[in-house]
Amino acid sequence: MTDANLPSPKTGTTPGMAAGRALPHWVDRFLGGWRVYRKNTIGRIGMALLVLFALMATTSFIPQWVDPMYHPMTGVDPQISYSTGPSLRHWLGTDFIGRDIFSQLLAGARIAFMVGISSALISILFGTTIGMVAGYAGKHTDLILMRLADMIMVMPTLLVVLLLSALFGQLNIWIIVLMIALFRWPGVARVIRSQTLSLRHRPFIEAARVAGASHLRIIFRHILPNVMPLALLYMTFRVTSAIIIEAALAFLGFGDPGTVSWGMMLQWVWKTGHMFQAPYWMLPPGICISLITMAFYMTGRAMDDVLDPRLREEETTP
Amino acid sequence: MDTAGIAPLLSMTDVTKVYHAGQSLFGKTGSPVVALDHISLEINPGEIFGLVGESGSGKTTASRLIVGLETPDGGRIQLDGQNIVGLKGRARLEFTKQVQVIFQDPYQSLNAHFSIFDTVCEPLIIHGLGDRVARRVRVCEALETAGLTPPEMYLERYPHQLSGGQRQRVAIARAMVLEPRFLIADEPTSMLDASISFQIFQLLNRLRETFGVTMLFITHSLAAARNLCDRVGVIYRGRLVEQGSAQETIMHPRHPYTKALLDAHPRFGSSGHRRFGTLLLTERPRPSTDHCLFYPRCGLAVDNTCNLQAPTLKTLDAGHRVSCFLF
Repeated sequence: MTDANLPSPKTGTTPGMAAGRALPHWVDRFLGGWRVYRKNTIGRIGMALLVLFALMATTSFIPQWVDPMYHPMTGVDPQISYSTGPSLRHWLGTDFIGRDIFSQLLAGARIAFMVGISSALISILFGTTIGMVAGYAGKHTDLILMRLADMIMVMPTLLVVLLLSALFGQLNIWIIVLMIALFRWPGVARVIRSQTLSLRHRPFIEAARVAGASHLRIIFRHILPNVMPLALLYMTFRVTSAIIIEAALAFLGFGDPGTVSWGMMLQWVWKTGHMFQAPYWMLPPGICISLITMAFYMTGRAMDDVLDPRLREEETTP
Repeated sequence: MDTAGIAPLLSMTDVTKVYHAGQSLFGKTGSPVVALDHISLEINPGEIFGLVGESGSGKTTASRLIVGLETPDGGRIQLDGQNIVGLKGRARLEFTKQVQVIFQDPYQSLNAHFSIFDTVCEPLIIHGLGDRVARRVRVCEALETAGLTPPEMYLERYPHQLSGGQRQRVAIARAMVLEPRFLIADEPTSMLDASISFQIFQLLNRLRETFGVTMLFITHSLAAARNLCDRVGVIYRGRLVEQGSAQETIMHPRHPYTKALLDAHPRFGSSGHRRFGTLLLTERPRPSTDHCLFYPRCGLAVDNTCNLQAPTLKTLDAGHRVSCFLF
């Protein structure tokens, strides 16, 4: 029994208290991933930018709390009724009715995160579930689900959402989020499906079948943890596209008029004819949109590296 | 072992399984691969039956059919006289409690995201056996049975922290935690070092002695089969060519293929020397008529007999059965 005793026996054999192991498995994995991530310059830049935007989003409540005139939507400077350039009173200037652009920019970060992350989450939820079911069930289920995915994938998201908002009038921001999510799951589903196909006949899945596990149990207990990293990776890319679509919609005038998003700000610049007269107004939201999508994309690329089996200290290899 | 008068625990009757290559897009192109061709065998309670054959001979297919990972294209498989093909729902759950498998590759058969406790405990959860405390006790017992002592040291570990031998012991513990009556060991040592293989053999033998579990031991090594099994069946290209007690079959092989398998075993001080020399160095073309499947490679084949019809299993003496025209 030499091999069974290879790891030197440690003290402390109370059941449940595994000797010498303080960290749970997932923390271990996370730290391992973080070690790889940290070496990645692109990932570091992306993460720094994301932290910056997160800071903007969380501080977006402060201006209106300091003075009601800084409220991004309803706050109007009583002394100003036109667009002004940067000043001490308004760091980035004001828009055409005297609202503070800086506080609008902060509020826009909040909306961008909200739209990006929630619609990415929903589309990952759909995509992962459908992908796993299609890959695991195979045959007709697979065929039907994947043809459906193909059909949705070839629809131009922006155009369809435009048509819908033309039909139903102004869309609520949550409806927009849901729309984006519903049109963006097929890509995720494809990737998750192919991953599931490769997992389906792995011996540990068959061992679970032999132990009597139901299909649901196999999908959610055995396959899900194995496709989760990939799903999370795709989530970062979905965030990017959701933010861009929302900005485009808002810029074209189909956004939620009750929210201040960066796309909305651009639309106000354009509609009031300040496009080239007020660079202090036009540039910040434009730069922010570019930077936040770039930040999410960079984070995704770096996570790609983390998930690369060659860089990972993987557990399945001997 | 005298098999007369005992009802077999597991019996396969005329079981056939055919795989169609390239089935997906253009219909059934490519010639079908016959993995199992009318296999019939019976495994008696308490014995270890060895299924021996080269890779691709259908050994693993047989085990997959028994546990229901695949369905046979023909024939019957029975456990205790009850049909076990195509079970669903409760019946399948009941069946899985009785039949378990140890897979070939311990690096692939454990979920990397499950701790050892989760892995071994899962069958108990699936079958709803015991509460938290009882499960923990049973998992510890199973690990101890599988030779992982002290079990508490392994519970919170993950597969990647264990060696190949330890992983295979975890797989054995997972199979034994339900206390099955029938255990299939599908080449459990092919991925392990020789010294560890020997320990696993000892462990399997101990399982049989303490729990009275019946075993189907699948291997490509006649030496391993002789070490462990009561009876062996030799399978070639999906057909059973020889069957009998392990001692008799291996010490006095009859079928040319069994002899060839024995020849293939390396022995000290006799490199190149073959005891039987039944294997042709250059294969004959495959006859278009019905023929003995071993004919193209058989050194003893008789023309006009072996290439014109297929032999059937003939009983020689004391349960020793051979499928060859020479007997």
